Amino acid sequence: MMNEWKEIANTMGNTYLRKWKESGRAAVGYPCTYVPDEVIYAADILPYRLRGTGTTSSSIGDTYFGPVICSFPKCVLQLAGEGRFNFLDGTIIVPGCDSMRRLDECWRKAADDYKGILPGFFHYFGVPHKVTDYSLMWFYEETLKLKEKLEKHFGVTITDKALKGAISVYNESRKLLMQLDKLRVKDEPVINGEDALSIILASTAIPRDEFNKMLRKTLSQLETKKETIKGKKRLMLVGSINDDPEFMKVIEDCGAVIVTDTMCFGSRSYSDLTEEEGDPLFALAKRYLNHAYCPRMFGYYKPRLKNIMDRAKEAKVDGIILQNIRFCDLHGSENGIFERDLEKEGIPCMRMEREYGPLTESGRVKMRIDAFLERIS
Amino acid sequence: MRKETKEYNFDWNMWTILENASKTADGFRKEYETLLNYIPNYRNVLDAFVKHGEPGILFLKIIAKYSNDCVRAHIEGRKTAGVTFCFATPVLYAFNIQPVTLEPWSVLGTVVLKRGTSEFLDYCSELGFTETSCSSQRGSLGAYLCDLATKLDFVVYDSPGICDTNANSFAFAASYLDIPFYQLNYPSTLTDERAKEYHHADFKGLISFLEEQTGRKLDMEKLREIMKENKRQDELTCELLDLQRLKPSPMPPIYELMLYGGRFMMNGTKEYTQLLESMVAHTRKKAEAGKAGTTSGNERARGLFCYIDHYTTDGRLWDFLDKRDISHMGSILFNFWQKDSLYAAGKEDEGYNLEDESLEAIIDSLADQMSRMPMVKQIRGPYDAPGMWLDDTLGAINIMKPDFVVYMGTMGCRNTWGMVKPFVRDLEKHGIPTLYIYADSFDDRVQSWEAVADKLEEFLKIRKIIT
Ligand code: SF4
Ligand code: SF4
Repeated sequence: MMNEWKEIANTMGNTYLRKWKESGRAAVGYPCTYVPDEVIYAADILPYRLRGTGTTSSSIGDTYFGPVICSFPKCVLQLAGEGRFNFLDGTIIVPGCDSMRRLDECWRKAADDYKGILPGFFHYFGVPHKVTDYSLMWFYEETLKLKEKLEKHFGVTITDKALKGAISVYNESRKLLMQLDKLRVKDEPVINGEDALSIILASTAIPRDEFNKMLRKTLSQLETKKETIKGKKRLMLVGSINDDPEFMKVIEDCGAVIVTDTMCFGSRSYSDLTEEEGDPLFALAKRYLNHAYCPRMFGYYKPRLKNIMDRAKEAKVDGIILQNIRFCDLHGSENGIFERDLEKEGIPCMRMEREYGPLTESGRVKMRIDAFLERIS
Repeated sequence: MRKETKEYNFDWNMWTILENASKTADGFRKEYETLLNYIPNYRNVLDAFVKHGEPGILFLKIIAKYSNDCVRAHIEGRKTAGVTFCFATPVLYAFNIQPVTLEPWSVLGTVVLKRGTSEFLDYCSELGFTETSCSSQRGSLGAYLCDLATKLDFVVYDSPGICDTNANSFAFAASYLDIPFYQLNYPSTLTDERAKEYHHADFKGLISFLEEQTGRKLDMEKLREIMKENKRQDELTCELLDLQRLKPSPMPPIYELMLYGGRFMMNGTKEYTQLLESMVAHTRKKAEAGKAGTTSGNERARGLFCYIDHYTTDGRLWDFLDKRDISHMGSILFNFWQKDSLYAAGKEDEGYNLEDESLEAIIDSLADQMSRMPMVKQIRGPYDAPGMWLDDTLGAINIMKPDFVVYMGTMGCRNTWGMVKPFVRDLEKHGIPTLYIYADSFDDRVQSWEAVADKLEEFLKIRKIIT
């Protein structure tokens, strides 16, 4: 079964996606955990999280973005420019960070030069940087706008019933992923970080009901699995986006197992449930604006630190890897203060800057991890 | 950090330099000329102010006063607020709070000190603040983080939604120093009712925060006084803008720095009004004489700086322009969008109007002013959306009639580097020669001023702007 997860995680056009499209249904790309994918799903459209997997060049990314920009949006633009997202019927842009929000202009401008790469539905979804009553109201209105735009463009009606149905499917998904977490944090885990990431990645690339079915099966297999992971250093991964199971593998091959994380392709995407009572759209706005804060939400350092500490404690980690993609100041800077405060609490930390995309620096990563493991052994 | 750097507080050290600099012109000419030999690191920029007579000297006095106010705030029982340059200061002055504006402090440091602010820039990185973040805050922030400056009581910033890099500096400062903070957060649109309501609600939150931090209510009397100055300053800046666009432009290149520098530090104070009055009077005289604002009185070209200027050691950009008889036609930093300003003609909904009737009206209008601050207005949304960076630059081109446009900023500027390439391409499509320079306006180590000057020179030659 793991092979199937891996295949979904490592290829852009997975079988489920292909089947979905063949049935005449649409798919919409979104870049970030602040997009309530339930709204898309309730329209019977496949929400597909944008990634830069499989990039082999940055020629297009570099043409429109400047030089000092995180390689994640650059890779996404590269794939878009190469037409590899042409299967998408729509894309949502989010001001996750400065680099991500500029994907809007860069993608549109690249479409002047590379014909046909701009999906018919191209929507900018605003997300406030703080939580107050008025910012929640504002975010609710943005969510409503998104719903109405989807309805208009795709000629569908998103009913409250469909929204409630989507919320329930997604909540189930989150509960299953939390169950997976429990298997990762066991004294002798039955799944490593690389495989867990493949499962999490699949949740963003295939229909959620199918995902739930698959995960239920995998969980029952894992729960009875005899073979466990022993004698490895237990690590936690924190920081910038990572959607590369290979990166986890490089770390784990050094003699470690990644047992938990606070990553956005990770626990941040499923650790909060949506309320199933009341106005479903408002419940979604509430859940998404409040969900485990990313550093793009300014001024929430303490809750983030607490989240790391709680997870680290639960997973009994031996150390934490605080990593950031070069030019990701949001994660990079906060990692500096995390290091200070976590080390004070006696949790060994290692800060690492890296590139997103094809693992060109696995030697350096390996060397740094080796040294860290030596330090904490 | 070198031992000598730790000898004195950064802000105190700067204050003594600036205080003395502001007095240099008080003596005889000969004394002044002899004195210049003793200040090789900033004689050029000092002279650039002094040679402009009263306005330049007033500006020197303003920065001396500002630095003195920052250094003495606690002694005088005033709270200090770490703020960013695009934060309109009147509301802070109304609470008797001293704004400690990081970017002007970084400019002052990099202009005046021999090694610029490199040690403070690096100190931030030693603490974990990314070396790739914006140098405009980092240059002085290092001093505040390593306790070599007056302590910050809290932080208020208005960059979330505008510039994450900037907001991140203040978020980092608040977390690192464990001090209270308040963020004004902006949506990506400007003129719609939703955005307006959001601006107003957020600003009211700021007032409550400031009341909480100072333990006092907003002083209506004081607020009215500040609003009076604020309004007058808006009128004067509009007048100046009107003069600036003449051909030849009678406004000396360095006035640009004085305009926005003064505004970022002392908007709402009597001293800034006085400076503006003097600048208007002097510019008007030049206009009446039909002379350009350059030292020679001639204008060979007009340059618009679509983002920020270049400040490293001794502020040689202004000298570069002046020597070549190039008029400075403005930058994003002096773009304040009062409804009466030339920029806002026909786009009144993008501008703001300062009200002084009821408390409610004053507060809402201050919120409007804040939401139209440089950068806050133009880079909140896609650069090519109505009322954003491209629109405003094309508007400025239409009014100021520059011969060329230059983009320079900081290498940490994710926001503008994220889209500057297509932006420049769009400007060129509109027929305006545009240059973007890979340099850092606050950190010479990224690219030396000499290399920047060479690039500018080459561009002016190749594009036949100055032959
Ligand atoms: S890793 Fe950082 S810079 Fe890159 S897209 Fe994510 S938040 Fe933005
Ligand atoms: S220069 Fe760029 S990074 Fe720096 S504060 Fe301005 S927008 Fe932000």
